Amino acid sequence: MEIIEKIKTNKSIDNLTEIQKICLDKLQASPLPNPKSEQWRLSNKSKFSNFLNYSVNEKKSKFDTPFPNTSQSTIRLVIGDNCQINFIEENYSIKQLSEDKLVKYIKEQISCFDKNENWSDLLNLSLNCTKNILGLKINGSEIPPIEIFSHASINSLNAKTLVIFLEKNCNIDLLQVNLGKDNSSLSQSTFVCLEENSSVNHGVVSYGENKSNLLNSLNVIQQNNSEYNLGSLHFKFNYARFEIRIKQSKGNAKTNIKGMQITKKDEQISTFTKIDFHGPNGFLDQINKSLADDKSHAIFEGSIIVPKIAQKTDASQLSRNLLLSNLAQIDTKPQLEIIADDVKCKHGATISQLNEEELFYMRTRGITLTEASKLQLSSYFQEIISFIPVSKDRWDLLDKLLNEN
Amino acid sequence: MVNENLVKNVVKEPYKYGFVTDIETEKIAKGLNEDIIRLISQKKEEPKFLLDFRLKAFKKWQKMKEPDWAGLGYKQIDYQDIIYYSAPKQKEKISSLDEVDPKLLETFDKLGIPLTEQKKLTNVAVDAVFDSVSIATTFREELAEHGVIFCSISEAVKNHSDLIEKYLGTVVPASDNYFAALNSAVFSDGSFVYIPKGVTCPMDLSSYFRINSGDSGQFERTLIIAEESSSVSYLEGCTAPMFDTNTLHAAVVELIALDHASIKYSTVQNWYAGDEEGIGGIFNFVTKRGKCLGKRSKISWSQVETGSAITWKYPSCLLLGEESVGEFYSVALTNNLQQADTGTKMIHIGPKTKSTIVSKGISAGNSINSYRGLVKMGTKATGSRNYSQCDSMLIGDQASANTFPYIKSQQPNSEIEHEASTCRISEDQLFYLQSRGIEFEEAVSMMVSGFCRDVFNQLPMEFAAEADKLLALKLEGSVG
Repeated sequence: MEIIEKIKTNKSIDNLTEIQKICLDKLQASPLPNPKSEQWRLSNKSKFSNFLNYSVNEKKSKFDTPFPNTSQSTIRLVIGDNCQINFIEENYSIKQLSEDKLVKYIKEQISCFDKNENWSDLLNLSLNCTKNILGLKINGSEIPPIEIFSHASINSLNAKTLVIFLEKNCNIDLLQVNLGKDNSSLSQSTFVCLEENSSVNHGVVSYGENKSNLLNSLNVIQQNNSEYNLGSLHFKFNYARFEIRIKQSKGNAKTNIKGMQITKKDEQISTFTKIDFHGPNGFLDQINKSLADDKSHAIFEGSIIVPKIAQKTDASQLSRNLLLSNLAQIDTKPQLEIIADDVKCKHGATISQLNEEELFYMRTRGITLTEASKLQLSSYFQEIISFIPVSKDRWDLLDKLLNEN
Repeated sequence: MVNENLVKNVVKEPYKYGFVTDIETEKIAKGLNEDIIRLISQKKEEPKFLLDFRLKAFKKWQKMKEPDWAGLGYKQIDYQDIIYYSAPKQKEKISSLDEVDPKLLETFDKLGIPLTEQKKLTNVAVDAVFDSVSIATTFREELAEHGVIFCSISEAVKNHSDLIEKYLGTVVPASDNYFAALNSAVFSDGSFVYIPKGVTCPMDLSSYFRINSGDSGQFERTLIIAEESSSVSYLEGCTAPMFDTNTLHAAVVELIALDHASIKYSTVQNWYAGDEEGIGGIFNFVTKRGKCLGKRSKISWSQVETGSAITWKYPSCLLLGEESVGEFYSVALTNNLQQADTGTKMIHIGPKTKSTIVSKGISAGNSINSYRGLVKMGTKATGSRNYSQCDSMLIGDQASANTFPYIKSQQPNSEIEHEASTCRISEDQLFYLQSRGIEFEEAVSMMVSGFCRDVFNQLPMEFAAEADKLLALKLEGSVG
């Protein structure tokens, strides 16, 4: 209830928007997610209440992007910047969604929300006034890469929302960067809608600083023949949750997901994915990697749902985990729920530490233990990082990870 | 394309164990309260510690809520509408099988259970439990020569109360879960096995559970203790008549293996599963757990689950002893409106412990078949390993196959591997077999049998053949 009161008495918002009112009403019924529900069972309660503890009043703060924009052709946007977006070129157009359309779409989404599963989205939309919601409608081809930044200011709980419509036959590279500041909480909700024959290479890189927190929710709807490729990386958060919900609404769509989370100190980072096949011939290839060190806790829960209509689905899910310390822990739970009979579905999970034989081999060749471990880790990270659409000369993620781990 | 009509026309084998034995029984009043528990305890002439154990469990049960996390949609059980003790009337003391009511012997004969003298040649000692009581235990003298104690738990309470007091409830405490608490309060009979130090049990031991009356539940309790360097193979079978009502079966099995001991526990569960409309059938809520207490001890669970309207069963291993081993091999077949939520828990506590899980689920008709398992590596389980494999086969597009593995590790120096896959009867393989002159049904049955082979190989000989046949019968008419 406390969070609802905080939103209602937020001084930086004059009037609650229609969406805020609807979401607040829903939140009123379940002010906090049910800690016994499968999605929230393993969530650290004190870290979660710490997430909600910050002031919801938005403070103006200086924002520095983590890497310079060296390429003229890259489109760079910061949610909450309030500038008018309108790129119209010969081959493509990127327009801001009108408020009516945006409200209509979000209302449609809210109507299907489940109070536990979509609790993060409900919180996000309750917190958010219009200026922190960015809606884009993209069409055309040869679109330059798009980079979108979200950040929270120090000592506050901020929410940012991104809605993207990809029209038919449209291909883009989209990099989303969520930055956490010292003692801050960021609630990020993203809605992506892919129309027929469209494809997106979506990168989500989230990293924080000391004691920063993140609730990151991603909702994707894929139409026929669309392709959605997601590469994600989450690290350096005191508490972070990444929720991915993908619905192949008519089947015949392709989804590739490669995600990674790295936890150190006493951090907790969790990834929840739910892939829903609502038509035949769907394809999924998912790999999620976790690395837990010190006293940290990494969690992965993934579910694949194949109802009767989704015949000829081909889905695979793999959870690979490295546990590097005696005090760290890893929980993983890949799940299959299948009714259609003509399907190929499989999942796998492994938990282990760095391969000792490989380490030994490298050491016999004069490589130090630290270097050998780094080499192993870099190959572990590389599979995921190479899937994130950001070029190495602009931002060397591998270097960043290895130097910080 | 699999010919649906052909398949549906295959004659269905009725549930052949669905007959009722017309025998005079002694039943107590319906309902559950302290007086009923006292009455059960009094009828069984139990010592005070056991009555206290029951009453304590009952108090805990009253405070507990029926679990709903498995999402099994069954109608509410009215615990006050169940008879908690029902026994066939017979002479006070039975000294030999000749004194057992011939009708009972006939019943077990019909079920293929070797109670009578001529069938004893099969070299399997049997403890036959009919409703709430144990009717007879065979080969007792032969086993006693080796120091093996094999008797009903009621007898063990009277004759070996020290062992019962020491071990009962140590693996599955009364407060473990709702159904274990209920069982601890009202358990009526079951089997007790004690294998002394250094003894390899000279024959397979077996218990056969038969529910005969429709209004009484069966709450048996099994306790097996394997002392240092001993080993035993134990088989369990169960059937029930066909009733339109649902009958509750809530059992508890506790296994204890000390240093270098090994226990192999095999089950073929063929309770009545209800008819095609889902009317009737047994609600089977079972808590089975083994404790590998000693160094290099081993507990192996193998099960073939084909019956019951609802199955809720997770045979588990607590791997405490250094280098102890836990195994779980399971085939679960569901048809019509059956629901099976089964799996295992492998809790690695001691160092260098190992566990293997192989689970095969086959779902046909409108059934739901779920594997739910937990593998946990504790902080002290250095050098431990787990391998899990869960395969599901779907027959028809109305059945559902789910896999919910929970994996938790707190020990970096351990390895966990899990893999799961889902498939259906391959048309290519079917075509290949049919083109070689193999009948359709036989081809299907061969493929199912091949799918389950990893598990059948682990079953004792007597059971493997029976399980194979059982699966083929159960599947008839369901492919399509």
